[in-house]
Amino acid sequence: MIEIKGVSKTFKNETALDYRDIAFENGKSYMLLGASGCGKSTLLNMIAGILSPDKGEIIIDGKEMSAASQKEKDRFRIEKIGYIFQDFKLINEMSVADNINILRLEGVDTSRADELLEKLGIAEKKNKKVKHLSGGQKQRVAIVRALVKSPDIILADEPTGNLNYSIGEQVIKELTQAAQGKTLIAVTHDERLSRFFDCVIDMNSVTGTPYDAAQGKAVN
Amino acid sequence: MLSFALKNMAIKKVQVILVAVSIIISAGVAVLAYNTANQVRDGITGTAGWYSAIIGPAGSKTQLAMNTMYFTDEPLGTIPYSVVSELQRDSRVKRVIPYAMADNYNGYRVVGTEPAFLESKEIAEGRMFDYAAEYEVVLGASVAKVCDVSVGDDIFTSHSASEQHTQPLKVVGILKESHSAYDRVVFTQLKTIWAVHEHEEEHEEEEEHEHEHMENSVCAAIVSTENPSFAMTLVSDYGGKIIADEDGDSVTLQAIEPMETVRGILEEIDSTKYIVYVLCAIILIMNVIVISIITLLNMYNSAKEISLMRLIGISMKKINLLYILQNGIIGLVSVLLAFAVSKICLRFMDTYASSMGVVLNTAKVYPMEWVILALVFAIAVLPTIICTFVMARRDSISE
Repeated sequence: MIEIKGVSKTFKNETALDYRDIAFENGKSYMLLGASGCGKSTLLNMIAGILSPDKGEIIIDGKEMSAASQKEKDRFRIEKIGYIFQDFKLINEMSVADNINILRLEGVDTSRADELLEKLGIAEKKNKKVKHLSGGQKQRVAIVRALVKSPDIILADEPTGNLNYSIGEQVIKELTQAAQGKTLIAVTHDERLSRFFDCVIDMNSVTGTPYDAAQGKAVN
Repeated sequence: MLSFALKNMAIKKVQVILVAVSIIISAGVAVLAYNTANQVRDGITGTAGWYSAIIGPAGSKTQLAMNTMYFTDEPLGTIPYSVVSELQRDSRVKRVIPYAMADNYNGYRVVGTEPAFLESKEIAEGRMFDYAAEYEVVLGASVAKVCDVSVGDDIFTSHSASEQHTQPLKVVGILKESHSAYDRVVFTQLKTIWAVHEHEEEHEEEEEHEHEHMENSVCAAIVSTENPSFAMTLVSDYGGKIIADEDGDSVTLQAIEPMETVRGILEEIDSTKYIVYVLCAIILIMNVIVISIITLLNMYNSAKEISLMRLIGISMKKINLLYILQNGIIGLVSVLLAFAVSKICLRFMDTYASSMGVVLNTAKVYPMEWVILALVFAIAVLPTIICTFVMARRDSISE
C-alpha cells in the first residue's frame, strides 16, 4: 500500500502543493485526473523517490520512503517501480533492445523483454533505433522498459499525452492488461480512459487546487 | 556494463575519435621522442665502449670517429699501414685493429679489417672470414636480408655507382642482428680491400684510370691500450705527427680519444633532446587541455542521458563507472595505438638515424615509455573522473 500523509511540496517558483491524505491499495489501478499544475506528476515523482516532499510522509508497504536516503530511493525505484514517462525518456540513438537492456547496469533481469515486445506488437522493432519509431511505438517501448522488471508499482505520467485518442486508448488498454495484479497509478487528462481503471482520483480535490476553466489549468 | 559502454561509445563516434586522436598524438610523440633520443645515445655510447684511441689522417675529429665507429660519412683519407705496425710494437698498446673503408655493396659500406674487430658480434650463419684468406666476406644482418644473400653466394662490390669490381667475394658468414650500425656493413679482411684494388688497378692501368691507392694503407688504426691513461699519451704522441707514405708524400696524423669525441657529439644531441622534450611537454599540456575540453563537452552533452538514467533508477555510482569505463577503454586503446604508431614511426626514423650510425630497434622499449603511456592514460581518464565526481556531488535528482 502506498500512503500519502500530510504531504506538501513547494517549488522554486513558489508554487505550493498541499496534498490531502490518500492511500493506494496494492494490485489496483488508479487514474489521476486533473488540470495541468494540480500536482499529479509531482505526486508520481515523490512516490518514485525522484522528488522529496517538503513536509509529510510517503509510506510504501510500511516503509517511509520520503525519509530514505537517495541510494535507498534509487534502489527502490529500480527494483519496485516501473515508471512510464510522458516524454518516454528513451535514448534516441540507441536501439529498442539497448534502451531496455540499460536496466542491466543495475542487475535487472530483462529476459522478459522479447515476450513483452511481442505482446505490445513491436517485437520486429527490437533492433531499430528509437529515433526511427513513431510516438506510439516509443510509448510501447517505454511501457516494456517499465514492465520488464516485473515491478510492484507502475507509475505512468500522461502515457497517452503524445498520442491520438485511438492509439492512446490502445496503449492504456495494453498497459492495464500488462499491469494486472500490480499497483498502477496513471496520470491522464482524458476522462474517456477512466473505464480501464479500478479507481479515478480527482487531483484537483486532493490538492485543493482550484481549477480555472477559462485557462484550462489549476490556479495556485 | 562493458557491452553498454561500447554501444554508448559507438553512438558518439566523433567525440570518441577526437579524444582518441588527441591521445594518440600526445602519447605517440612523447614515446617516440623519448625512445629515439635514448636509442641514439645508447647506440653511440655502446659502440664507443672499447676504443681507447683512433689514429687516422688529419681532419675532422667527428668524421674520423663517426666513420670508424659507426661507418658513416666518408673516410678522411688513408694513412700508411706502417702506423699500424708501429703501434703494434708500442708497449702501451694492448691491441691494434686496422680499419679501411673503400667500396660498397648495393650501397652498403665494405670495411676491411681483422676478425678481432667483430669479436663482440655473434655469427648467425656460417663463420668469420679467415684472417689469412682473401675475397671472403661476412655480412651484416640487414645486408643479407635486404640483398637476399646467403652463405656461399658470391657478391660484387663497387667503387662507385658505375664501377663494379670484377673480383667476386665469397659470403662465408652472416652476423646476428645487433640493431647497431654493424647490421648494415660488409666486413672483410683488410687484404681483400687491398687485393681488389690491386686487381682492378692492373686492369685499369691501360685505361689510365686513377684510383685511390689503397695497398698498404688503412683509413684508421683502432687502438686499445693496456691502461686508460696510455690513451692520452698516445693521442698526444700521434696527434699532428707527420710521416711519409710509400710514395714519399708526407701524411699528417690525428689521434682522438673516441669517448671524448662522442661526448661532444652527445652534448649536441642532449641539447636537441631537451628541445624535443620541451616540445613534447608542450604537446602533452595542449592535449591535456584538448582532452579535458572534449571530455567536459561530452559530459555536458551526456547530461540528458545521465538524467534519463537517473530517472529510471540507475545509480550515480553505476553511471560514473560507465563513463569512467568508456573513457578508460578510449584511453587504453588510444595509448596502445600510440605505442604502435610510435614503433611504426621509429621504423621510418631508422633511416635518418642510420646516417648517425645508429640502428633504431623497434622492439626496444624503455621502462619510461610505459610511464609516459600510463601518464597519458591518466590524463585521458582524469577529466572524466573529476566530472563524474562533481556530478555525483551535485546529484540533484531529489531536487
